[in-house]
Amino acid sequence: MSDTIAPPMQEQETDGQKPSWKRPQLFDLVSKKAGSDSFLKRLAWALGAYVGVLVIFGIVVEIKGANAFSVLSTMIHETLLRSDSLQQAALRAVPVTLAALAVAIPARAGMVNVGGEGQLIVGAVAASGIGVALGGSAPGPIGWAVMLLAGAAAGGLWGGICGWLRTGMGANEAVTTLLMNFIANDLMLYLIYQPWKDPHSSGQPESRPLHSALQLPALFGSQINLGVILAATVALVVWVAMKYSGWGFALRVVGGNPEAARRAGLGVNRLMLSSMVAGGALAGIGGMLNLAGVELQLRPDITATFGYIAFLASWLGRHDPLKVVGASVLFSAIAVSGDGLQLNYGLDGTVTDILLGLIVVAPLFLSKRRLVSGGTR
Amino acid sequence: MNGIEQALIGGVDGGTAILLPGLGELVSQRSGVVNLGTEGCMLAGALASYAAAVDFHSAWVGVVIGMLAGSLCGGLHAWLVVKRKADQLASGLVIWFLALGVTSVFGSSFINKSVPPIAIWKIPLLGSIPWVGRILFDHDGLVYLSFVLVAAVWFLLYRTRMGLTLRATGERPEVVAATGGHPDRVKFLAVMLGAGLAGIGGAQLSVGYVDNWFNDMTNGYGFVAVAVVLFAAWRPVTVFLGSMMFGVALAAASVIQAHGIAVNQYLLDSLPYVITLIALVAFSRRGSSQAPEGLSKALTSSG
Repeated sequence: MSDTIAPPMQEQETDGQKPSWKRPQLFDLVSKKAGSDSFLKRLAWALGAYVGVLVIFGIVVEIKGANAFSVLSTMIHETLLRSDSLQQAALRAVPVTLAALAVAIPARAGMVNVGGEGQLIVGAVAASGIGVALGGSAPGPIGWAVMLLAGAAAGGLWGGICGWLRTGMGANEAVTTLLMNFIANDLMLYLIYQPWKDPHSSGQPESRPLHSALQLPALFGSQINLGVILAATVALVVWVAMKYSGWGFALRVVGGNPEAARRAGLGVNRLMLSSMVAGGALAGIGGMLNLAGVELQLRPDITATFGYIAFLASWLGRHDPLKVVGASVLFSAIAVSGDGLQLNYGLDGTVTDILLGLIVVAPLFLSKRRLVSGGTR
Repeated sequence: MNGIEQALIGGVDGGTAILLPGLGELVSQRSGVVNLGTEGCMLAGALASYAAAVDFHSAWVGVVIGMLAGSLCGGLHAWLVVKRKADQLASGLVIWFLALGVTSVFGSSFINKSVPPIAIWKIPLLGSIPWVGRILFDHDGLVYLSFVLVAAVWFLLYRTRMGLTLRATGERPEVVAATGGHPDRVKFLAVMLGAGLAGIGGAQLSVGYVDNWFNDMTNGYGFVAVAVVLFAAWRPVTVFLGSMMFGVALAAASVIQAHGIAVNQYLLDSLPYVITLIALVAFSRRGSSQAPEGLSKALTSSG
């Protein structure tokens, strides 16, 4: 018996890129027979998948001894029909949306950024460091601008490192961004347990809170703060940049076929790196806005898996900026709706994580049908 | 017993929790499927085994249940990826996220329950070798099982017909299909087998090493296992070395603390991840040329 099998094709080590060329694939031929799905049929599949999501979620809830229908109706009532929780959802959506766009932009260029969590953390860390150092010495707007820049720089650096490790060193960015999340978290824990520890805090260690002048102001007498407006503006800018700028177009070309992009004279590595820096910077801004608007000080679990929820949201929105924003807001609302379940049903709030996961299983389940019906990228 | 010896002994215990999912991920990736859900399969295995060990008063029943739970998670991943053609990286992360949610919802009632420990068994003769014996041959059964599995996976891959089919599936599934094989079936089996090993790895963590259950207790070990497989260039023995390296870094942190050297615990905690990252970067160039061809496509795809 042979110890070796046919060696991989020619190894063109062109800047860490694999040559991508099509060879006849038996399986595509086989699955083509379903290619004539009508719109109605696809709609039926999609509806079926999401009904399945609710059924499975309901079963989980029932196993935990709560009534599935009343839990779902509570989630809807508590979130959609109460302005208080709608505002909470809007606040939660700030870091989630920006971290989701941090996934969506690199995805355009064919990169997988799973580092939203870490990029949110370092953004918040940098903003907190600068903010606490400023104290009350700077007027609000200047302080916010400096903190925002610091958060963006830190997030951009965190994402950029992984981008460079991919383009320069050939290390898979999905794995490096994941590892960097844990490193970011340990870095933050180190700071709040030792050098940045608030001497006045009791119990849970926290960093010193921001000076009240640096807190993002609430608007219209509601809980909604300036961060929501800023996040919405940033999202709009991203959408315009992706849709209308040459950079956004070039990213799509790189993501579609890096080899063709290279032949067309595009700086593929530079573009990929730029997408990771831009994505990381957005998540860093998200971390800063969450800190200055809501948290005010660093604490363990400050991000509470927002970065991963954002990853799922970007997938649900198929990395299209507007859809990604919609998915992020939806996911934030669902996550917030879980808070009441503990009180009313004794259900752990993380039960909504299961629902979020299942919601993303649905499009993954439908991938095959999408591939067959032409595939929109 | 000096500090270095302590770190090495602890490193073998901790490294086993990487080695088991690492070997599983190796089998899975050799078939052309990357499973980032390994982290989730470990979590599922950790909770399921702990719960079963509590209920049945037997650690080994727990280990088997943990393996089945891991396999189940892997089955979901395989189904989405192989049958439904979902993106592998996205599917893996969703599996992890689901497992995180499910285990934290169902795990709360098992925190701080006591389980019968997995007996530590000093291997006769081998265990009496000075120094080496204490480090390698004075552990619980799961550690030895993982040693045996290194050899078993190597043998499976390079010395059996099945292994040849597995590797061929990772390189050229269409060739396997053309010669009358069933690449989809091979992938399914490989992913489920690999996830089962990740489940045992979870059991090693909860029932064996930590002797407790808490939320998110795998702390990224499953992701580290994926990284180890990548920088080990898909070779079982190198996966063993990489896992032990992570384990020793992990154990060194607590040994350094125990010796009263004042370094912040969280800085030390980040050390194993930093080392893994450095190893991944250092060996990526060389390693990626040896990647199963089907895998390279999966690893660079998005959208």
